[in-house]
Amino acid sequence: MVFMFASVSFSAAFASEGPDGNKRKGKYTYRKVFKACAASGEVESATPKISPADKTMAQWEEIFQNKNFDEFGCRDNWTGLSDNDILDIYSYFYHHASDSPTPAKCQ
Amino acid sequence: MKPRHFLKCCIAVIAVTAFFCSVQAVFASTPNNGEEALGRKLAKQAVKGSKRWSTINHAKADALNSDFTTGEEITKACLSCHSEAATQFHKSIHWTWLASGDKSDIRYGKAGYSVNNFCISGNAMEDKGCLKCHTSWNRKGVKGEVNCLKCHNSSGFNFIEAFSDIKAFSEDGDPETDEMVKDIQQEIKQEVTRVTFPTRKNCGDCHFKGGGGDGVKHGDLDTSLTKPNRMLDVHMGIDGKNFSCTRCHTTVDHNIAGRIYTNPAVATRKSLIEDDLAPKITCVSCHSSAPHKNDSKMNDHTDVVSCQACHIPTFARVNPTMMWWDWTKAGKLKDGKPYHEDGPFGKPVYKSIKGEFRWEKNVMPEYFWFNGSLTSTTANEVIDPAQIVKVSHPVGDKTDPEARIYPFKIHRGKQPYDKINKKLLAPMLSGKNGFWTTFDMNDAIEHGNKTIGIPYSGEFDYVETTYAFPITHMVAPKENALNCTQCHTRENSRLANITGLYMPGRDKSDLIDTIGWILVIGALAGVLIHGIGRFFIRNGREG
Repeated sequence: MVFMFASVSFSAAFASEGPDGNKRKGKYTYRKVFKACAASGEVESATPKISPADKTMAQWEEIFQNKNFDEFGCRDNWTGLSDNDILDIYSYFYHHASDSPTPAKCQ
Repeated sequence: MKPRHFLKCCIAVIAVTAFFCSVQAVFASTPNNGEEALGRKLAKQAVKGSKRWSTINHAKADALNSDFTTGEEITKACLSCHSEAATQFHKSIHWTWLASGDKSDIRYGKAGYSVNNFCISGNAMEDKGCLKCHTSWNRKGVKGEVNCLKCHNSSGFNFIEAFSDIKAFSEDGDPETDEMVKDIQQEIKQEVTRVTFPTRKNCGDCHFKGGGGDGVKHGDLDTSLTKPNRMLDVHMGIDGKNFSCTRCHTTVDHNIAGRIYTNPAVATRKSLIEDDLAPKITCVSCHSSAPHKNDSKMNDHTDVVSCQACHIPTFARVNPTMMWWDWTKAGKLKDGKPYHEDGPFGKPVYKSIKGEFRWEKNVMPEYFWFNGSLTSTTANEVIDPAQIVKVSHPVGDKTDPEARIYPFKIHRGKQPYDKINKKLLAPMLSGKNGFWTTFDMNDAIEHGNKTIGIPYSGEFDYVETTYAFPITHMVAPKENALNCTQCHTRENSRLANITGLYMPGRDKSDLIDTIGWILVIGALAGVLIHGIGRFFIRNGREG
């Protein structure tokens, strides 16, 4: 399973157009992580503090390749996500990174 | 009593009386800390703590308890109770983007011939990039439905994104996303009921970011006013009066006071004592035309100097504002790709899509006579490209009773004009034919000018232009207002370019100076001669 995810994410990350998960789904899965995390009392706000536009595409690539989600907090909630969920979230962050053609905007 | 002694007594009484009168006059003109200025007292009476109340709890409104799938459905729900709201709003400039109430008059307004030296033109609402700030759903402009939530929802929730996601999930055939649709709809249902009078954030989402970013356009309006302290704005400061925008920008039939194009925001300055239904848009409305303490010399200034001139010493005091935009530099690419460079304040100084910029902070205003109206050079007016073109400029002079000396931000830049027809041009910027996609200015002008129906010769060049913004927000606490010597001084007076009046300290008149010196020397000579005379007369008698 781990090998499968590693190979999927590796190939996705190095594809010329970035990861090909469902970025729209990724956005809601990401928000759901924080809603659940806030409900458990680990974080105060259900609104995620980190936005895709906080980093560049290369920086998100490194974070998701190494599966290092410490910066986000809510470790237990991240552990419970499936490989596909993580790929979706990765796609959301990568395609709305600060140097992407469509950086995420806070509205 | 001998007549000589009686005369001496009379002179002594007159001298003592004159001395006390002059001392009294001096102290009367000096602010007395115990006394409150009339204008301040009136303003306090006019704006007691906000006690707005409502007869509706929108969370209990049946019309809003629905699974909305589009923004238009929400508008329908709003109108099911507020039946006249859209009809009223359709006549307002917030909807038409035209200055005149007559929709066939397209001379002035973003949707008409008006241009500026930022993103230049709204291209008759055909440039969809601009429509992000129009009050319709989904950037449809006047062809769409009014998005009431843009001004009347305090949640900050992104309804447009939510509806776009619902639509995409409903069409993707993925059963996993059905649950997400339900969640989004639940969130919409919850957030849609957070109905409010417009908050600073509602207004600021567009007005703080006009021209394409925070503080680009106005200089006295940027996101620092979302939660300012009273040092930045005594009226809006959350540690002060905590005014929302609508506290001064009062509304009648969805027409909001304060708009200035060729017509002033108000025809005459009136205080609420003179007319209790007058808009609260001018300083005089609440502070009257005698805003300072009785007998203060400052009250003698109010028929010539605007309140803003002294009470807004600088603008852009927290965030920087753009002061220069040069379109001649737009279109450069690096490795075939557009790029941008950041400069001081972390603000862009170059963008391939827009050109070169300059930003400043704590900017000293420029001062002009201003009667409340602005001239506007539209895309349909002939210009002289050998001169700097005043795209927008204040109207007024000393002879105009409504004119006051007023502070302005003057934004300078270079923008395209038609070399043959001698008119400013309106390039299309966003979209597939826009400059931001093609980087072809000539083609962008072709498409842009077509939208506003003004012929383009096919030849363009760039001309330097100015655009004037009245400075009226960011009113500093009174202790930070200008002192006399910042204007009444020979060197570097803030009002150096103001003509039509004699300003003591700044101006010099040989005739007045000569008369003054004759009086001073004459008085001294009189005292001296009198003293010498007395000395010699008395000298002979004593002993």
